[in-house]
Amino acid sequence: MAWRSEPDRLTPARPAATSRRGVLLGLGAVLLAAAAPATRPIEVAPGLFVLPGLDEDASAANLDALANTGFVIGRDAVAVIDPGGSLAHGRLLRQAIEAVTPLPIRHLVLTHVHPDHAMGAAAFADCGAEVVTHSRLPAALAQRGEFYRRMLEREMGEAAAGSAVLAPTRLVQDRLDLDLGGRVLALQAHPPAHTDHDLSLLDGTTGTLWTGDLLFVRRIPSLDGSLSGWMLELEALRAKEALRAVPGHGPPAVPWPAGAADLTRYLLALRDGTRAAIAAGIGIAEAPARVAPEEAARWRLGEAYHGRNVTAAYRELEWE
Amino acid sequence: MRRRPLLLAALAAPAIARAQGIEPADTPRRAERWRDLKQAIFGDRPVEPAGAALDLSVPPRALDAALVPVGLALSADLAPRVTAIHLVIDENPLPLAATVRAGQPGALRALTTRVRVDAYTNLHVVAETDDARLLEAARFVKAAGGCSAPMGGDLEAARQRMGRMRLTLPEGSPGPDRAVPVQVAISHPNTSGLQMDQLTRLSIPAEFIRSLRVTYAGAPVLEVASDISIAENPTFGFTLAGRPGGELRVLAIDNRDRRFEGHWTLNGAG
Repeated sequence: MAWRSEPDRLTPARPAATSRRGVLLGLGAVLLAAAAPATRPIEVAPGLFVLPGLDEDASAANLDALANTGFVIGRDAVAVIDPGGSLAHGRLLRQAIEAVTPLPIRHLVLTHVHPDHAMGAAAFADCGAEVVTHSRLPAALAQRGEFYRRMLEREMGEAAAGSAVLAPTRLVQDRLDLDLGGRVLALQAHPPAHTDHDLSLLDGTTGTLWTGDLLFVRRIPSLDGSLSGWMLELEALRAKEALRAVPGHGPPAVPWPAGAADLTRYLLALRDGTRAAIAAGIGIAEAPARVAPEEAARWRLGEAYHGRNVTAAYRELEWE
Repeated sequence: MRRRPLLLAALAAPAIARAQGIEPADTPRRAERWRDLKQAIFGDRPVEPAGAALDLSVPPRALDAALVPVGLALSADLAPRVTAIHLVIDENPLPLAATVRAGQPGALRALTTRVRVDAYTNLHVVAETDDARLLEAARFVKAAGGCSAPMGGDLEAARQRMGRMRLTLPEGSPGPDRAVPVQVAISHPNTSGLQMDQLTRLSIPAEFIRSLRVTYAGAPVLEVASDISIAENPTFGFTLAGRPGGELRVLAIDNRDRRFEGHWTLNGAG
């Protein structure tokens, strides 16, 4: 998820670098200006579709459609990967699926429980799909579900009504293969990284790695698990044989492993900078402005959320 | 202090109702709330503005409502005369976050900690002097959800290291005529009891550090009475004077009467 700013700051000031990058990234700039959720899925590999998310904070206008969501079509069935940030967003995704294929939706995979990825699950409640998650997701949902529900209400108002995560029906401890008919999605449950319950998928048929929020591109990453763990998991993911990856936030697909370069640089700068601050006796109050300040300008929403990542990194690393 | 839970619980309900409000800093209601809180905590004793002698620093907008750093600096004149600092977060369910008492003069000259903030709130500190005066300062903090927000991060790792303590001496050990900043921290979830388990519909029970005592070379330095408004892994920074080579001891006790101890010998080399 993207960490939310407080309600009186619906539009955080964007760094100057954003507009420059926006021009370079054409499509991204259009999405940024439009502030309306995407309705047309992009087929980034045969039978693998992504509904791209917006690099914004949640609002009634954007339906919390912030994360990349999508689906994979096999011979017999469809798997939905991350049903979206709200009931309305989930419905857009479901309409997109039904426009492309008549096959049944049998699997609903949640890469993690953050609301921009999971609160649209309610739109799929009646299709009988199994809900597949990391084995630690139910605990996270129990602890945070109510908090996320209230947060979404604050951000979206009445437009949040009906949004909900569905209870998992199949838990992944380590690995699990989902067979869609002639097409297998290899799911992997990760140790604490972006969150403490991240799930990634590899579509061997097309060489596409679906990372969830283990990969951020363009939008400032958010740390809610373990910084050291995230660096290790990202390194292992980079070694996977895949042509492309679908990031949790950013373009619908990026070349792999080249697409991990910015995140790798960011996490390293965050870790080394925070360790150095702790060693130098810089307090947690001063660290956000002093750790890797150049990184805040390199990412969309960076000025709003980099400091929070420093705080999270500091909390973790001071106990190393 | 013993009557605190009763009195402050009675004041708690409106704070929860307004937890999502974006009310400005200086409304009559906020002023009235602070009057009520002062009455509950200090009775009829007058509380005067501290002015420039007490510098309170809090980020105007918190990066993380569950971990808001608070820093307090006393002027050189005032520091040796301050015997206690009371930290009050007006809109929190239990507003009195901590009372920190000095065991040696000057221990509270520069005081730091980290708190949870549950709604946009005024944060007050009241310094108590050796001649029984009460001096207040305030800052407005924009943050919401800190008390009921669930913890993130690697919870298993946090559980495993519960009770571990850290000592930080950014300027080295104290020396003759040289008081130094010291920070002590204890790994502890410090849960608020306000988080709800969605499966059982029961509150996740509160587990928090209620008392922390620091001594140096056998003499008291600092005594903290704290509550659920203190952030996870309770952390306190203070000022230590004394000869090098002494032993710094920390004893922390949580609400389940678990005791956690740490001790370090502070060598002369800075």
